Amino acid sequence: MAEEFRLNLNIKKIKEVLKADVVQGKKLLSTKINGVYASDLVSDVLAYSKSGSVLLTGLCTKQVVISAYLSLFKAIIFIRGKKPNKEILEFAEEKNMIILLTENDMFEACVKIANADSNSISNFVKLIESVEKKNTIIRKFHIDGQDFSNSGLLSTQIKSILQNIGYDPYLIKRVSISAYEGEMNVVMHAKEANLILNANEKEIQIIIDDRGKGISDIELAMQKGYSTATEDQRVLGFGSGMGLPNIKKNSDELKISSEVGAGTKVEMKFYVIQE
Amino acid sequence: MQLIEIIEKLNLKTLTNVEERNVEGVFISDMLSDVMTNAKSGNLWLTIQTHKNTVSAANLVNLAAIVITHEKEVPQETIDLANRFYVIILGSDLSTYELVSKLVGIGLTP
Repeated sequence: MAEEFRLNLNIKKIKEVLKADVVQGKKLLSTKINGVYASDLVSDVLAYSKSGSVLLTGLCTKQVVISAYLSLFKAIIFIRGKKPNKEILEFAEEKNMIILLTENDMFEACVKIANADSNSISNFVKLIESVEKKNTIIRKFHIDGQDFSNSGLLSTQIKSILQNIGYDPYLIKRVSISAYEGEMNVVMHAKEANLILNANEKEIQIIIDDRGKGISDIELAMQKGYSTATEDQRVLGFGSGMGLPNIKKNSDELKISSEVGAGTKVEMKFYVIQE
Repeated sequence: MQLIEIIEKLNLKTLTNVEERNVEGVFISDMLSDVMTNAKSGNLWLTIQTHKNTVSAANLVNLAAIVITHEKEVPQETIDLANRFYVIILGSDLSTYELVSKLVGIGLTP
């Protein structure tokens, strides 16, 4: 099977984001990598890692480098300012492996690399604000109207945020479907919008506030099958007039307010049922 | 029924990475809201839509795979996005109707 690159990253990019020194393999900076594995246990590295990855470790011994070589790692990054000895560097040179050194700790290094990956979904959604307070997570995103190329990705991101918090899968499905329909409405009908996700242990709330043409008759817009989508949008499979009815079906509370020529605000709530 | 078995029996083209998945039922639609509302997780989704948004829809509803009928060409950006989110896209040169009759033929009945 052909080598699969889930990450869109090369060593050069990692060197930049970690402000790392390349002490071995300076000519190999354009090497693409497949994944990142962070561990200080040699047996973990041998058991769980994936070939073509880069190893992040604070353990600076020859055993680590040998294990990394056997596990087909392309590079090793020593964190927290650890310096490899001559023996390690010679072994790496002989095996064409790249060695980088950074002052970052494991957590910082992981986060910086993850953020640098241009395949990461977080690069396609525009996060404006992120707040965590007393069991409540608030995220504010921006949506561009008419941007069909990235539409649907924000809902996908919301789904993974909710999965990470650990909500019930059926609740997550209802929220993501509603977010998707709301997002698509903005992409089809508005100039731009902000989406606020507000999640705590009692409820999940999504507010989409757009700048656009507004809805003159909300009751009509709520009817199944009613749509003002253009012919081009319908060809893509949008505009079946099911967006708002679909949000209504999936949410526990729905409030729509709109001003023609100004914009529309859609507020939806989903109750978290405690077991 | 298992996805790989369906791929082999109906000679479907694999346009993305493929893994074994359990297929429960079939859903046919070219309207995305319809898929979001009515498709069930584990469904095989038969459609002629090939743009990137199908990937988000399939991912949000946890569909087993998308099957593009009528031998329609799928843009590379759709395939790339699908691979990133582990959405499986398959292709068939049959029409949706012909493909459905074959699916029923191998025992994937409603």
